[in-house]
Amino acid sequence: MTEPAANDVAPAMALRGLTKIYGTLRAADAIDLDIPVGSFYGVVGPNGAGKTTTLSMATGLLRPDAGTVHICGIDLWAKPDAAKPLLGVLPDGLRTFDRLTGGELISYAGRLRGLTPDVIVPRRDDLVAALDLDSAQGTLVMDYSAGMAKKIALACALVHAPRVLVLDEPFEAVDPVSATAIRRILIDFVAGGGTVVMSSHVMALVERLCTHVAVVGAGRILAAGEIDDVRAGSELEQRFVELVGNDREHRDLTWLRPL
Amino acid sequence: MVAAVVGLRLRSTRHLLAREWWRMLVLVAGFIWLLTLVPGVLWARSSLYGAQIDTRTAALASLGAACAIGWALVPVLVAGGDDTLDPRRFAAFGVNVKRIMPGLVVASLISLPAIFFAFMWLTLCSSWFAEGPAIGALALLGAVVQTVSYVALAKVCSSWAARVFANRRARAFGFAASILGLIGFAFLAWSALHRGLEALFETDFDTLINSVARTPLVSALTAPEAAANGDWALAWLRLGLGVTWTVLLLVAWRGTIAEALVTPVYRSAGLRSRPDAVVTAGRGVPFLSAKDRVGPAGAVFARIGRAWRGDPRYISGLTAVILLPALFVAVVIPAFDLDPRWALAAPFVLATSIGWGRHNDVAYDSSALWMDIVAGTRGGAVMRGRFAGVVVWALPLVVVAALVVTGWTGHWELAPAMVGTAVGALGASLGVGAITSVLLPYRTPAPGENPFGAEVGSVGAGLVGQLASSAATLVLLPLVIVPCILAVIVDVRWGIVATIGGIGIGVAAYVYGLVVAGRLYDARAGKLLAAVR
Repeated sequence: MTEPAANDVAPAMALRGLTKIYGTLRAADAIDLDIPVGSFYGVVGPNGAGKTTTLSMATGLLRPDAGTVHICGIDLWAKPDAAKPLLGVLPDGLRTFDRLTGGELISYAGRLRGLTPDVIVPRRDDLVAALDLDSAQGTLVMDYSAGMAKKIALACALVHAPRVLVLDEPFEAVDPVSATAIRRILIDFVAGGGTVVMSSHVMALVERLCTHVAVVGAGRILAAGEIDDVRAGSELEQRFVELVGNDREHRDLTWLRPL
Repeated sequence: MVAAVVGLRLRSTRHLLAREWWRMLVLVAGFIWLLTLVPGVLWARSSLYGAQIDTRTAALASLGAACAIGWALVPVLVAGGDDTLDPRRFAAFGVNVKRIMPGLVVASLISLPAIFFAFMWLTLCSSWFAEGPAIGALALLGAVVQTVSYVALAKVCSSWAARVFANRRARAFGFAASILGLIGFAFLAWSALHRGLEALFETDFDTLINSVARTPLVSALTAPEAAANGDWALAWLRLGLGVTWTVLLLVAWRGTIAEALVTPVYRSAGLRSRPDAVVTAGRGVPFLSAKDRVGPAGAVFARIGRAWRGDPRYISGLTAVILLPALFVAVVIPAFDLDPRWALAAPFVLATSIGWGRHNDVAYDSSALWMDIVAGTRGGAVMRGRFAGVVVWALPLVVVAALVVTGWTGHWELAPAMVGTAVGALGASLGVGAITSVLLPYRTPAPGENPFGAEVGSVGAGLVGQLASSAATLVLLPLVIVPCILAVIVDVRWGIVATIGGIGIGVAAYVYGLVVAGRLYDARAGKLLAAVR
């Protein structure tokens, strides 16, 4: 295990020996991963592989049993006040303070990040316009659809202009028009020097957007690197199946066919 | 279908017990507790067997009515237990209410409380065999009807309560109705009790029992009385009334199931537009420093203010802390004919209840706590903002309560001591509440769920948190309350100590509590989310 490099050349995110154990289950088993600055990094894996556990530990939401997380060279768990401002986070399945309106929620996130109202207001208006939420800006988040709630949470993750964005299933439940808008924002973010770490089950999306990919299985990194290296000349989905294994018996459901 | 639903219930229970060992402890403890009640039931049966017909009827009717109130209220107030048979779980399988209803009824009867109540009523009603086998058999029939009516009553009440809490407008209406009902109850209680508990028993109790005995709530239990008096027509009428009541409850329950199967929980497309009240919130707010007013604490203050105004979980807590001292003054003091000076305790009960009620404050953000945690080391700001949102209404409330009670008792010379002590009790209990809410949080109902519900899995943790905050509060409170008691019963000059000491200790405990809670919040940031979700 090597220590992450100094700040100026450090990876956007460096995980070393990251471990989380629930009872007898090793949800994350000594995970080592470097995510380069400026990369669009996909994290893929079957259900229950440990993706969300790993990303939770990597963003300060879940204390690891062992291992370290460095964000741009800063130890997240040792110096959270220096590392967390560099991160923007969109967890999966977690709700927001839904008694605030969409606009208020963005303002709230901005104030928590230490921004002043004169900075927050224009950014808030830009974000709601970019994410096509103008008409819903004054509506309570509890009245949002799942896709709208996802978009407003993404706006909250972006409002303080982080250097690293960690997104758990950002396109889940989002309509195609909004997905296009989100994709555009994320691609521009990476083009401007930012780093996106995104978990997804949709291989085609990862293949289309990501420059790098890590395949997680049973709490371990099975393969990681530039996407072309990982897929090794085949489709990502096919390579994924090879890596995580699919030794289940194939059984024809002949009774399902209409007569 | 009955076998399928009952099997589902039993299998789910077995798997749940295997997965979470504490449930077995709760089940065994409940079983042992019920076993300890068995000798009492048998003793009551033998007493009733030898009793007069009137006495037996009054005893069974009053117990039956009290149990009916319990079966109606407990599932509403203590939800979060077993939701295996929630009809919404069956919605995806396309079964209709006609097929599923018998299974749900039978499965609901297979529970410790239902089995115990069946045993209890069959045992107690068997005392009617003293009047002959035919009357005894009629009583056993009544016992079965009564038990089924309890189960149906519980289901109807919890389903209707869930429906009220699922809709924001209905929720507000439900709360307003509950508060009005409780105020009405307090007034009635005061009217009934102001002559003392003894007078009530002497004059009104018999009338009350006789009235209750005629209601369908317990008429299945009082049918044997009519038969014992030779009026079999009335006996069958009462039993029929009990059966009709049970059938009506089953029909109402069937209606809620039919509704639940085709009405999934959905989010309404609210269109009411509001201006951004968060971006500049906190300016001019007392109890926050100038830096906090423009920083994260001001934003947290704005968010918490919204919750105190609209979140049923907060509003129910607020209602409870106001009702507790109100009932103490309106019910306990007149009922037990206490010295009116006992009313002076009401502001301290109010202040301590407000503070103690915050012992799990952070857990109320369970679903969205991540936003505060990912934003950095914001523990201090989060706690200062949260508790400023409490102090801003609680401090004026306890001061006004202290002054009103002082004026009511006519002891104006105690006013400064009363105010100082109330402030001290509030500050000390809030300080303790701030620390325990970070140190020992436990799961609570998520926003939008039944605010009275206990979250599945929270029983043990909740008990630890409540005991710890109670113990710490009990250690601190005498420091502020004893000087005030001395001012009331020994020498009014103790009031100076009570005033200065109360305010000093209250402010110090509040500030210290927030500082410690803020540091703990940051230190435990990686564990908090797991503890409350």
